[in-house]
Amino acid sequence: MTGRVIVITSGKGGVGKTTTSANIGTALAKEGYKVVLIDTDLGLRNLDLLLGLENRIVYTIVDVIEERCKLKQALVKDKKNPNLSLLAAAQTRDKSAVNAEQLKDICNQLKEKNDFVLVDCPAGIEQGFQNAVAGASEAIVVTTPEMSAIRDADRIIGLLATKEEIESTKLLLNRVRPKLIQSKEMMSVDDVVGILEIPLIGIIPEDTGIITSTNKGEPIVNDENALAGKAYRNVAQRILGEEVPFLDLDEPKGFVAKVKNIFAKLKAKV
Amino acid sequence: MGIFTDFYNTVARFFRPQEEDASKSVATNRLKLVLMQDRTNLTPKILEQMRGELVDLLSKYLEMDKDLLELNFEQEGDQVALMLSIPVIRAKDEEEIEAALAEAKALKEAQEEAEEETDEEYEEDEEGEDFEDEELVEEEIESAEVEAEINSESEAQQTTSRPKKRRRKLEKVSSPEGLNTEEKTEEPEEIEQVSTETTEG
Repeated sequence: MTGRVIVITSGKGGVGKTTTSANIGTALAKEGYKVVLIDTDLGLRNLDLLLGLENRIVYTIVDVIEERCKLKQALVKDKKNPNLSLLAAAQTRDKSAVNAEQLKDICNQLKEKNDFVLVDCPAGIEQGFQNAVAGASEAIVVTTPEMSAIRDADRIIGLLATKEEIESTKLLLNRVRPKLIQSKEMMSVDDVVGILEIPLIGIIPEDTGIITSTNKGEPIVNDENALAGKAYRNVAQRILGEEVPFLDLDEPKGFVAKVKNIFAKLKAKV
Repeated sequence: MGIFTDFYNTVARFFRPQEEDASKSVATNRLKLVLMQDRTNLTPKILEQMRGELVDLLSKYLEMDKDLLELNFEQEGDQVALMLSIPVIRAKDEEEIEAALAEAKALKEAQEEAEEETDEEYEEDEEGEDFEDEELVEEEIESAEVEAEINSESEAQQTTSRPKKRRRKLEKVSSPEGLNTEEKTEEPEEIEQVSTETTEG
């Protein structure tokens, strides 16, 4: 079997790369696919926390590269889902401990025995980014509807386009706040897609549930009721090739908003 | 009080024009501009050089306030425009223009002679660059000239169409068509023609 290697990247930090990696990985594993998550953020690892696996890590990716253990030994199985495992980053080393060739080699080994290898990329465009991208053939660029995040995403998209191995680059718009979009205080999904000009794979609404899910070390896709969880499950479906409509976040709720919407539509016609 | 303020806000929001005062359109426009600059590889140094060359060229024809010359990229709908704004003091008359052109020509010839003495290969390179630069500003001068006669302040603009499909794979060559001097090397002959025409006329 040859799995797909997808890098999850963003340029800017704090836009939700790691949260996205954890959730897409968990969602794909729940669908029955074998998934490995690789944390390549050496020195600043967090993916283990989001998955609640921080106490189970024995070996890290650097141990594998420096041949202190076998690749299989370093994979930490998820608590709930045996289909999901994590290859953790080393917390005590920096990005120079690994090079692109080594990471590519690890990705190639992992894709032999898994359906999906998701690479959680560190922020920035330096060595860490180059390493994370090396083994991937697909990329998901995470951004939020803010200027700085979009600008960095644009840079990343430009860099990804120079990589011949990357066959597809998709956009995941995170932390979308429909109310702010309605009041025209936040860039809309269309605005962002219009600027970045790459296909959209997901729209994730801002959800306070993310905070509690991080606290508990349990990805929000496991919460059947959370809107962000549903949005992430939809992203997983789209990765699997299903055509899932995007969640309708724009529909105004409440009577006043509906009336206002009708007026807005009339106005648009005139 | 709270109820009344809430009510007022709801009513006010209801009647407020939708697009204009929204901060998101400000953000979108600022972002489009900054990305335009990011995506082209025009460094401040190159922009400054371009500005200097434009001043040299235009001052053959116009007397203007060089210090107030502005060179900016602006977003106009789907396209990015290079906006050149120069406060024109007056348009020069024919004699002055001819004198200026003759002077420039003499200067150029002197330069070329000086260059001939240096390494030949190097000289060829230099000449190529000269032509590129002229071609870059050629369009500018034409529109600037016409407008200068009508307005005291002329705005020359050269719209550069942004390729619809992103030029991602070309990152290294990069930048929208018409902005990058490197892309101009292919048509030196045509340029030569144009420049001789202007000199004669």
